Amino acid sequence: MEPILEVRNITKRYPGVVALDDVSLSFEKGEIHAIMGENGAGKSTLIKIIAGAEAPTQGSIEIGGASYPRMHPMDAKKAGISVIYQEFNLIPSMSVAENLFIGEKVGKSRYLPDFKEMYKRAADFLSELGSNIKPETLVFELSTSQKQLVEIAKAMVQNCKVLIMDEPSAAISVAEVDNMLRIVRELKEKGVTIIYISHRIDEVFGLCDRISILRDGKYVTTGFLKDMTRKDLIRHMVGRELSETYPHTRGEGKELVLSTEDLSGNGDFHIDMNLRAGEILGVAGLVGAGRTELAKMLCGDVRPLSGNIYVKGTKKNFKTVSDALDSGIGLIPEDRKGEGLFMDYSVDWNIPSMCFKRLAKWGIVKQKDAEALTDEYVKALRIKTPSTRQVVRLLSGGNQQKVVVARALAYRADILIFDEPTRGIDVGTKQEIYKLMDALASDGKAIIMITSDMEELLGMSDRIIVLYEGRKTGELLRSEFNQDAVLSYASGYTGD
Amino acid sequence: MKKAMDIAQKNLAIMLLIIAAILFGVTTKNFFSVTNILNIFNQNAYLIIAACGIALIMIGGDLDMSVGYHMSICGVLCAMMLTRTTIPVWVIVLLTIIISVGISMITTFLTELLGIPRIFVTIGESTLFQGVAYVLTNSKTVSDLPVSFKQIAQGTVGHPSLTYATLLMALIVIIMSFVLSKTYFERWVFAMGGNITSARLAGIRVRKMKYSIGVIVGLALGIASVILIGRTGAAAANTAAGTEINILTGILLGGVSIRGGEGKISNCVAGILLIALIGNGMQLAGWNPYYQYIAKGGIMLGVLGFDMFQMRRRSIMNNQRKEEA
Repeated sequence: MEPILEVRNITKRYPGVVALDDVSLSFEKGEIHAIMGENGAGKSTLIKIIAGAEAPTQGSIEIGGASYPRMHPMDAKKAGISVIYQEFNLIPSMSVAENLFIGEKVGKSRYLPDFKEMYKRAADFLSELGSNIKPETLVFELSTSQKQLVEIAKAMVQNCKVLIMDEPSAAISVAEVDNMLRIVRELKEKGVTIIYISHRIDEVFGLCDRISILRDGKYVTTGFLKDMTRKDLIRHMVGRELSETYPHTRGEGKELVLSTEDLSGNGDFHIDMNLRAGEILGVAGLVGAGRTELAKMLCGDVRPLSGNIYVKGTKKNFKTVSDALDSGIGLIPEDRKGEGLFMDYSVDWNIPSMCFKRLAKWGIVKQKDAEALTDEYVKALRIKTPSTRQVVRLLSGGNQQKVVVARALAYRADILIFDEPTRGIDVGTKQEIYKLMDALASDGKAIIMITSDMEELLGMSDRIIVLYEGRKTGELLRSEFNQDAVLSYASGYTGD
Repeated sequence: MKKAMDIAQKNLAIMLLIIAAILFGVTTKNFFSVTNILNIFNQNAYLIIAACGIALIMIGGDLDMSVGYHMSICGVLCAMMLTRTTIPVWVIVLLTIIISVGISMITTFLTELLGIPRIFVTIGESTLFQGVAYVLTNSKTVSDLPVSFKQIAQGTVGHPSLTYATLLMALIVIIMSFVLSKTYFERWVFAMGGNITSARLAGIRVRKMKYSIGVIVGLALGIASVILIGRTGAAAANTAAGTEINILTGILLGGVSIRGGEGKISNCVAGILLIALIGNGMQLAGWNPYYQYIAKGGIMLGVLGFDMFQMRRRSIMNNQRKEEA
């Protein structure tokens, strides 16, 4: 079959780094082609080059019989290439229809669009995708998955032949992912080529025809997924064999350390939960079910409207995060770059950053103590960094995550709330985070783990509570764990 | 190359200051005389004192555009109390500083209440303060300040150009350098400038910190306005107008990032002095004073460009660098 899009010998150099090294790929009409690789493998750079957002240092893009050594974004658009980035390219204050037809001429007039026509055509495109979004809705009112759908519809409007999707399932719930995958398959039927970038191996196996793997900016292999096993895939990605297992060396949960009674506020209602020292409590639920809100109340960032929080038997009333920290509750936030770390500061700044006051005498921070504290946790958590003076921005995702954990531990927090502990962390390092969590629990720390990753939830938790629209709909013991039960509780089923 | 860039960025102001000094020293007579140098310090003492407060705000990730008329109001009120009441001078000075802290608290309160960045609150306030200053003075200059008051800024020790103002400035610079180098307070300010959400989730009481910074800024601006009108011997509604631009340019030149989380007091002082030096040098060389505006504006844009360049360089590294271990 004739390839519809070819990437030939692309090399991209940034000052001091080679992001892509002589990569050649070809994509066929009507296939779903996965691109996988660990963080830093060069996937994002490749997409940007195909979309014309970045110019390659060497090599060319071949599409529609033409060869582009440097593709302009307009060339890409004309050739029918659309990209759906993780951060959507929609204008929040404009309607869905206006977003769909942005840059397109609608109606007869040269200057003014025919809005009637626009809304009608928008409704057609949306219903074709099986969606009931109204064309006149403003984009900021939409949910993440709806915005994604609008992006897909926008690509359809532009008559796209090649649709590139960057981690489309990262921010939406299980049910929404199913819907998105259905739409992607329909597009394939219509002859659209889909380049699908994802970290989720199951999803790629279920959806894609072929896969190309990149590692450290180099092309590794391309193959049909039906000829590949999960193990092959991981081996190609990380360059070594790896078994995805969930360590469990800890014993039974011990004494009760944290409990809530009728806790309500900010999207959560009447939540009762218990947490014991030495256990990992999984918190499941769809995006928007109130999981992060619960975490924010427990860590003192948001004040509950009603209900009580008890820590080690004492009733607590947290006014700020530092109150919760003083009771030993530390949050490892979902968005570690935006909410956890100080990206431009060094490791030995970040790790003691919760305890500067404790480390100070007469107001002066004792640098020696701060460094000793840093060294202690760099060693204990095996944080890989060339030196403790290294800026956190330059560490890998897994090591950044460890720094956030180290920070809470340095404050001597013994109740740790992990919100999406392995999001955006590559396969090789996930294991290490799991081992770390298990080791912490064995050590007597109590852990709450909020996660959207079903395997991780079932593999790591000792107990699971499931939230649905701010309410607790179910609780499962390890012996009762199964995916269907979690999913049905997460969609509101309460067992009666 | 990279190392040279880093050093250049970290000490840009000091390096440029040395270059400018040499340049003016060679081309103009009397530039390197003790009197001229002390005069430069004396003339800019109020700017440097005010900059010590503003630098704190900027490192904490905020910007303040109301400095000029904030100081004008303080100066005008101070001058009016001096000329129209019989309150002892030291009490008036104290009251002026208290008023300044009060204004700064109002700014902080509005920022928190409205939940919008300080830069926008202060742009609005600046015009408001301007109006208040003109209403208070009826757009007349308040002069004939008592000698005992003027002595605070103009009195000298040792050398006929070494004023109390200069000494006070040196003291404040030393105190602020210390506060911004080793204390946990400094760490918290940098935390806020680095990432305010991370700071909040790290247990730093961000709101309380903003008020604390507000008090320090109020003190700095209050003292600065006393020094300013003490030196000039008069106060008018536009006495300190435009100060914020001089301070902002100087501080940016001193390596404080417009996004916060970076900066050192010593470099900020060098930045302010550099701006002053350029003005002073151009004056000595007999240039039309309006060229100074062109020079200052150009410098500000240049420094902002350099800051953005640094940020871009960093974000490229962010995308591309891998684990080095």
